[in-house]
Amino acid sequence: MMSPPAGVLLDASNTGWAGNNYAPAKSTARQVIVAITAMALLACYAPTLRGMFQQWSSDEDMSHGFLVPIVVLWIVWRERARWRTLPAEPSRWGFVILAAGAGMQFIAALGAGLFAGSLAFLVSVTGAVLSIGGFAWLRALAFPLLLTFFMLPKLALVYNQVTLPLQLLASRIAAGILTTAGIGVIREGNILDVAGHRVSVLEACNGIRYLLSLGFMAVVFAYLADTKPWMRIALLVAAVPIAILANALRVAAAGWLPSLDASTPHAISGAILFVLCLATLVIVRRLLNKVYASYQS
Amino acid sequence: MKQLVALLLGLAFSVCVNAQPVPLGTAANFGVLAGSAVTNTGASIVTGDLGVSPGSAVSGFPPGIVNGSIDVADATAAQAQIDLTAAYLNAQGRAPGTVVAGDIGGQTLTPGTYTSSSTLGITGNLTLNGAGVYIFQIASGLTTASASQVILSGGATADNVFWQVGSSATLGTGSSFSGNILAQASITVTTGATLNGRALARTGAVTLDTNGVASPAGPGVPGSPAPSSLILVAIGLVSAALYLGRGRLLQAFRRI
Repeated sequence: MMSPPAGVLLDASNTGWAGNNYAPAKSTARQVIVAITAMALLACYAPTLRGMFQQWSSDEDMSHGFLVPIVVLWIVWRERARWRTLPAEPSRWGFVILAAGAGMQFIAALGAGLFAGSLAFLVSVTGAVLSIGGFAWLRALAFPLLLTFFMLPKLALVYNQVTLPLQLLASRIAAGILTTAGIGVIREGNILDVAGHRVSVLEACNGIRYLLSLGFMAVVFAYLADTKPWMRIALLVAAVPIAILANALRVAAAGWLPSLDASTPHAISGAILFVLCLATLVIVRRLLNKVYASYQS
Repeated sequence: MKQLVALLLGLAFSVCVNAQPVPLGTAANFGVLAGSAVTNTGASIVTGDLGVSPGSAVSGFPPGIVNGSIDVADATAAQAQIDLTAAYLNAQGRAPGTVVAGDIGGQTLTPGTYTSSSTLGITGNLTLNGAGVYIFQIASGLTTASASQVILSGGATADNVFWQVGSSATLGTGSSFSGNILAQASITVTTGATLNGRALARTGAVTLDTNGVASPAGPGVPGSPAPSSLILVAIGLVSAALYLGRGRLLQAFRRI
């Protein structure tokens, strides 16, 4: 379907649903339904949302959760020209998904935990979109909905299983980097001893923070910079080794230069390294585009 | 005189309200301390010393790693056990506090003493909110469910949380626990669970399986945590905006 020019859609006199013969009154009614549904979801999931806010506030690995809803809402707003043109064809499947979300929330309330409750919230939001707008709307809003997965709380079972291996991996790679650079290092498990200066790769140094932040940025950057949907997955996959290597590099730098262990230089070096990770993603995207172009030709 | 009495009463009241930490003595140096044996499976990491006394069985290191010393049936471990007994009796002898029973998962507790007359369980998340001392007097066992978490917030620290367990403690698979466990008998940390604190068992064994045990005292080695993910993503968004809007920025600069 051809999209109407953006200027038409953004005209103040054209309050949405352009090109689909929807009267403004009907559009207003639809907006009221959307607002009531949003409020009902917020009310039903208030304890879960409070739990998510608490985790974002107390856990530095998950504090990016505050920014995820803002970015998601901005993307929805940015895409308004696209989804406003779509016909609203409510689907009964939406109620099935809403019921599934409610069931999950019930199980979460019985003791399954915050992760299950948060997932139930996202399932219910998906159900609400389907109930009000139908499958066309769901397709149009699929990307921002998938992006909300980055604000889900940690699944403790998985997190605790990967923490130790990641700590040891970061220690091993950091020791390897230092050795390759000709700097003598003794590694005892997760502790690096560089000429008497000892650095411990703690749970908070395991790289999860870089992994989640860079993964989110990879997907957002691919969305903003590229029209190919597969690029989002490709950059997300590329972000994994980049984040692990960058974290190990950060640990190696802290071992090599004791002055970097102080809080301010350490934070600055961590931030600079993250920008370098983003630059690497830009290079990866260019390389992938070149490979894709040569494949097409 | 009246003012002095009031002052003394005030001081006494404040001491009662703000409970003092349980003195661990030399046991504070240990991440893991057992009476009979320490058994490990998998790549566990213990930050802090590991000791056994009066028993002498330690197995599973390596593949387990101890970032500290290992004291097996020596004078250091014996002294730590003496100090552990004193700490255990200190915690047990404190005036009973708020009565808790069954499962305390899902609750948010503030500093104070909590007393359970039988077994205590934690399913889901238990939040300890606020700076201060938390003492849990548990007459029988302590069991945490798989994937459960003890979350410290509002200034609560693992060093100031004490779990006096009348029999044995079991931390569920993949759970995340905080505080000092002072168990009369044994402590079992099941697969993938992490303990931000100490596992101190008076008479029984401490069993580990691919765990991280981080004593708050530790060996004093600095870590290198990355900036928070909020800062990283904020930096990322600004960088992405600058990169994607570089054309307009250059034009603006040229105009200036």
